[in-house]
Amino acid sequence: MEIPIEIENLTKKFGSITAVKNATLKVEPGSIHGFLGPNGAGKSTTIKILLGLLKADEGKAKIFGKNALDGSPEIRQNVGYMPELPKFPKHLTGEELLELYGQMYGVPKDEIKKDIPHLIELVGLSGREQNKIGEYSKGMQQRLGIAQAMINDPELLILDEPSIGLDPVGMVEIRNLLKSIAKEGRTIFLSSHLLNEVQQICTHITIINKGSIQASGSLSDLRNGLSLEPSIILEVLNLNDNIVEAVKTIPNVKDTVVDGQRLRVNLNTREDVRSLVSQKITSMGGVIIEMNQTIETLEDVFLKLVTKPER
Amino acid sequence: MEKKDGFLIRFYAVLKYEVLWHLRKKKVLGIMILAFGLATLSLALPVVLGNMYNRPIEPDPDRITSISMFSGELWYFLLAIILGMNSISGEFESGTIIPLLTKPISRTLVFLSKMASTLLIMIGTYIFLFTYLTLGNILLYGPQNNLHLISLQLIGNILSTLVWVSIVFAIGSVTKSSQMAALGSFGIWLGLNLIVGIYALFTGDTWFLTYFPGGGQTGYLKVEGSPIPTAGPQIKTGTGSIAENLVTLALNPSAIVNFIRFEIGGGEGIKILEVYTETLSYVVSRSFIVAIVYVFLFSFIAWYALKRAQISD
Repeated sequence: MEIPIEIENLTKKFGSITAVKNATLKVEPGSIHGFLGPNGAGKSTTIKILLGLLKADEGKAKIFGKNALDGSPEIRQNVGYMPELPKFPKHLTGEELLELYGQMYGVPKDEIKKDIPHLIELVGLSGREQNKIGEYSKGMQQRLGIAQAMINDPELLILDEPSIGLDPVGMVEIRNLLKSIAKEGRTIFLSSHLLNEVQQICTHITIINKGSIQASGSLSDLRNGLSLEPSIILEVLNLNDNIVEAVKTIPNVKDTVVDGQRLRVNLNTREDVRSLVSQKITSMGGVIIEMNQTIETLEDVFLKLVTKPER
Repeated sequence: MEKKDGFLIRFYAVLKYEVLWHLRKKKVLGIMILAFGLATLSLALPVVLGNMYNRPIEPDPDRITSISMFSGELWYFLLAIILGMNSISGEFESGTIIPLLTKPISRTLVFLSKMASTLLIMIGTYIFLFTYLTLGNILLYGPQNNLHLISLQLIGNILSTLVWVSIVFAIGSVTKSSQMAALGSFGIWLGLNLIVGIYALFTGDTWFLTYFPGGGQTGYLKVEGSPIPTAGPQIKTGTGSIAENLVTLALNPSAIVNFIRFEIGGGEGIKILEVYTETLSYVVSRSFIVAIVYVFLFSFIAWYALKRAQISD
């Protein structure tokens, strides 16, 4: 199966500003690939280069093995794209928009008309498809954005910040929708600055900051590759140096940090060692009031990468 | 879902997208109402004045060919501004260009569809107005001769308007601003009407006006046997006078146009001198070619700017 997206040393400059710097990434077929970075990191610029809206200064970009940098319309035939805060012609109804956009993929009107009710229902716009887009709320336009991105039944779906403008319920619905789309075997390339969102849906992640790719791979690969250890946070009565030293002797305990009654035990393993730690502390006279084992979230990974000094 | 290469399906989709945009915009409706109002006024005014001065309207079988139906640079310019100022630049300003250009359609197809839709709306507007004026004139002045010449007027009006549409498209596509499209075109229109005219007045050179979009140079139809070079009706040579000239040519295929200059002094007051003559068929052919060259030139600029545009926001 062809690789949906392959980028190699992609560079894009706007005058003296380098928006994308030697970016290299690969999106695996069937994955939900999160493209994560703070605002202005270069996410949308990378996507716009892929779709022919911007021209790259250097590097290569391929969609399903075909050169995406020559601006050829055929590249976009199997791609559905939802822009960040999509703007659609306000004088059209939602249904008309889907019909016309569908025809722009070369699909005859009759066939599109069959698919529109399903798409409208899928994105939760039933009953509003005859309304002019000018009457739609931001959230409804966002939903329509997803529907129009799927009008051509694409193998690759590129979504630029799909949750912007949605209320919390809408965000959950969109996440569930994306998961169900991915189950159909489609590849989703999702740009977002919302760490929680990406963590919840994505199987693979690329982190970009100041135009440079900081890390790319599956979530577990990223954690392992960046040596991000889990830890146990405890609140202990009668905490003293003897207890702390005893805890350090437990296998896979890397080090400890004491802050009043709080003890942070950093581990070299993802195995659950809470029982060993609790036994040791109790045997040394400590009283455990609270204990939690934490695994670093994507937020920790993300913050470490985007706040570290530039390479 | 079956996906086809279908160029025609894609072209039709973008064309419909554009036509709906034109039809549902209030300003297009506004210009139609204005044109309808002007047409009604042109029909009603002779009737009202005739009643006021007790001079009833008499049958005139040549009325249709003797009046200019919706001709004139200002009208062409206004219609072009209304139809073209948002067509390309509006997509950039509203952000709708992004979902449009990320569909598997070429920018050339988008451009051609935009031109075609503008042309369709323009033709529709003229057909509606011409039909209304023709019926109105028949009603007021009785059966008309040479009704087939209306089609020549229609062709002339469309070509004259298209010159300005292509200018508006070009400025809009280069600047990506509707305001610039309107103001820039207005600047060109004003400049050509004022500055070039003033230059011609001071230097006495007017031949070059023929090669600018607009009214062009002024000449006079030669009247056989008359020693006065300005005895016949005025003929303008520019791209804005194609409609009237086509009708005149159809009615007078061998007509000659006198071009004159004024000479002041020598104790004889102002003398009108015939400088040179041209056949009307030559004048019409040249204005046709000049108009087509402008349409292609500015359309090319508009297309090239759209083709090269980078869309970052």
